[in-house]
Amino acid sequence: MADFTATVYQNEFLPDGGTDVHAIVTVKCTGAGAAGQSGSGDAGEIIIVDTSGSMGRDGVQAAAYAAQTALDQILDGVWFAVISGNDRAQLAFPPSAEPVMVRMDSYTRQAAKDAVSRFYADGGTAMGTWLRLASRVFATVPSLTQKHAILLTDGENQHETPEALTQAIQSVTGQFQCDTRGVGVAWQVDEVRRIAQALLGTVDIIPAPDQLAAEFSKLIQNAMGRGVAQADLRVWAPQGAEVLFVRQVAPTVEDLTARRTAVNPLTGSYPTGSWGDESRDYHVAIRLAAKAIGQEQLAARVQLVLGNDVVAQSLVKALWSADDALTTRISPEVAHYTGQTELAQAIQDGLAAKAAGDTATATTKLGRAVQLAAATGNEEATTRLRKVVDIDDQEAGTVRLKRTVEKADEMALDTASTKTTRVRK
Amino acid sequence: MDVAMTSTTETVCPSCGGPVSEADRFCEACGTELNPGSATSPTTPALDTDTEPTIEISTVPVDQVGPCQSCGGTVGAEGYCETCGTKAAKLRDHFEEQPAPWVAGVCDRGIRHSRNEDAMALGADAEPGSRALLVVCDGVSSSLDSDVASLAAARAACEVLQAGHAKGLGTDSSRGSAIAARLKAAADAASDAVLDNTSPDSPNPASCTFVAAVLEDGLLVAGNVGDSRAYWFPDEAEPVALTVDDSWAAELIATGISREEAESGPHAHAITRWLGKDAPDHTPRTTTIHVTGPGWLVVCSDGLWNYCSEAAPLADLVRQTAAGCGGEPKATASALVDWANAQGGQDNITVALARI
Repeated sequence: MADFTATVYQNEFLPDGGTDVHAIVTVKCTGAGAAGQSGSGDAGEIIIVDTSGSMGRDGVQAAAYAAQTALDQILDGVWFAVISGNDRAQLAFPPSAEPVMVRMDSYTRQAAKDAVSRFYADGGTAMGTWLRLASRVFATVPSLTQKHAILLTDGENQHETPEALTQAIQSVTGQFQCDTRGVGVAWQVDEVRRIAQALLGTVDIIPAPDQLAAEFSKLIQNAMGRGVAQADLRVWAPQGAEVLFVRQVAPTVEDLTARRTAVNPLTGSYPTGSWGDESRDYHVAIRLAAKAIGQEQLAARVQLVLGNDVVAQSLVKALWSADDALTTRISPEVAHYTGQTELAQAIQDGLAAKAAGDTATATTKLGRAVQLAAATGNEEATTRLRKVVDIDDQEAGTVRLKRTVEKADEMALDTASTKTTRVRK
Repeated sequence: MDVAMTSTTETVCPSCGGPVSEADRFCEACGTELNPGSATSPTTPALDTDTEPTIEISTVPVDQVGPCQSCGGTVGAEGYCETCGTKAAKLRDHFEEQPAPWVAGVCDRGIRHSRNEDAMALGADAEPGSRALLVVCDGVSSSLDSDVASLAAARAACEVLQAGHAKGLGTDSSRGSAIAARLKAAADAASDAVLDNTSPDSPNPASCTFVAAVLEDGLLVAGNVGDSRAYWFPDEAEPVALTVDDSWAAELIATGISREEAESGPHAHAITRWLGKDAPDHTPRTTTIHVTGPGWLVVCSDGLWNYCSEAAPLADLVRQTAAGCGGEPKATASALVDWANAQGGQDNITVALARI
């Protein structure tokens, strides 16, 4: 049985008239077990592979090999299917005109590998249709409590309007989780990130097709290690208080604020998807009505909930004090993740400005990103930034845009922008 | 109590420069809280200054865990209102007792301190003016777990006083001696209770003061260790201080220095006797008087008398406050606590009263 703990980091002391309470809540899961084996329902896995014409013969072969590697990692007993996508979606396995899934065993694994080996490159790209088919396929197995897909693409979503993709994403949000990967440099980070964020998954670039198999293998292994099918973060705030935001801040920055569904007038629920043995940090900000010096109140109750069971809880407090030594103290955790969140935004804004030809804004934003990455000890971000800018002064954030940048490096900086580092202890 | 009796000189108070030991939570000299925040929560990563006492307070009526004082909502298991989030007062932070309509007391955290280390235990027979037992202990805040120790001490002492009915040979003087002997036994029990609540390797063992007053058939016997006090304020006669503090200030006063000067000096709150593992002696000094007319018996901690030390003005304050409360003891005790809080509430405040 999975075991969850929640720990809060905050400065609960507010000055006279202070209203805003910030806290970092670290939720840790241990003993999650394997997907579909916790006794609370079955696990389902769908592999979605781009087989559009742009993939070419070599690309499709690499993708097929990667899909076969992924099939090897799916545990016996897990329900699965393979979808090939171009400007429309086809169920590549099981071979059926109607949506269907089968359980993994040695026979179905081999049959699926055979089916995947017959992939060929043809047609355009309409990822919305792939997502819709995946949702219909998952829906054929009512016992599934954990639904995960990996989606591979190599190009822009040309054969579908952005609105159609948005509608498709909306229609499948909450139906399954999806990790997305782009191979090569012809795909749009924003487009694919949109899918991943809505479907509680990750996004990354795979620069060359020969790296696909290792990545797919890792993704499926991660998915199979998530024995907790679905958990929700619940945030209670007192009457009259305002929840300014709820963000996941580690391992990646994801703003959850808009994903709230009301449990009751004072409590909101935010889906967090499935959990393996891991820890995630959440930044919760609450605005209260100020109280008198010496008064204390609960500012928020942050819980992790499985179904209707509260499995971990942290209390965020507020205590008004006249002691400046207490009220001016800044929680290092809150400061760190505030910086990391700004870092992600600075990278994305900087790259967007660069793409739009706005060199001045790009230089400022990426300079700020360099400064924040250094200040928060995010060395991976610094390394990625160095491939896009020349750094004159790291602390001051003075940079120059490099004249020639590898497209893949720029995309890697973009996809990894939301990855955060933990607080240095 | 804002004071320590002993201190290993390792550093100085940031406020007055007086010597303080690393384990001290408050400066011995000026009462400044040392290392606020960190000292109270050395092991938790979050800034959690919660200092719940480690024992349940069983004798405090449960009806004090009522709805939220702020909005009327339900108070949850963690002690916060489930609607507006307001922290419910801890039972240990403020409790009241009234064993009989004519005897009542209020024990309150005050404003400045983060927990209530004062304690009180009362007993009384129903017949007004017949028999009353009032015990107040004030935990020394520079020692560890004084809140737990002081409450255990007060209750243990009150239990001993409740059980005893020895009247000697029945003459007034032998009755007085018998009651004084009971007070000594009560102090022994209180001392044992403090020791029972002190961990053997504590760097700063729990300590508290002790004052008890016993009224029995017209005899009033009071005894104290430390600087918690008992007063007798007869309606038709001069007010009487029944106790003399075991304190640095009291020793100065004995040498002829004015009370005002002595009690405002840098070591005004240093006490010379207390209950605890490192106590030199805990035998209470007792005073016996005959009660011949109506009046107020007051037993209190320094949280009250800090703001009104002399017997005469304190008697005026008690009489005026009582008049404003229709002479009702609990309302009067509560109003006196409110008054001390209005003066700043620098320390924990305990006021126990018997209307005789």
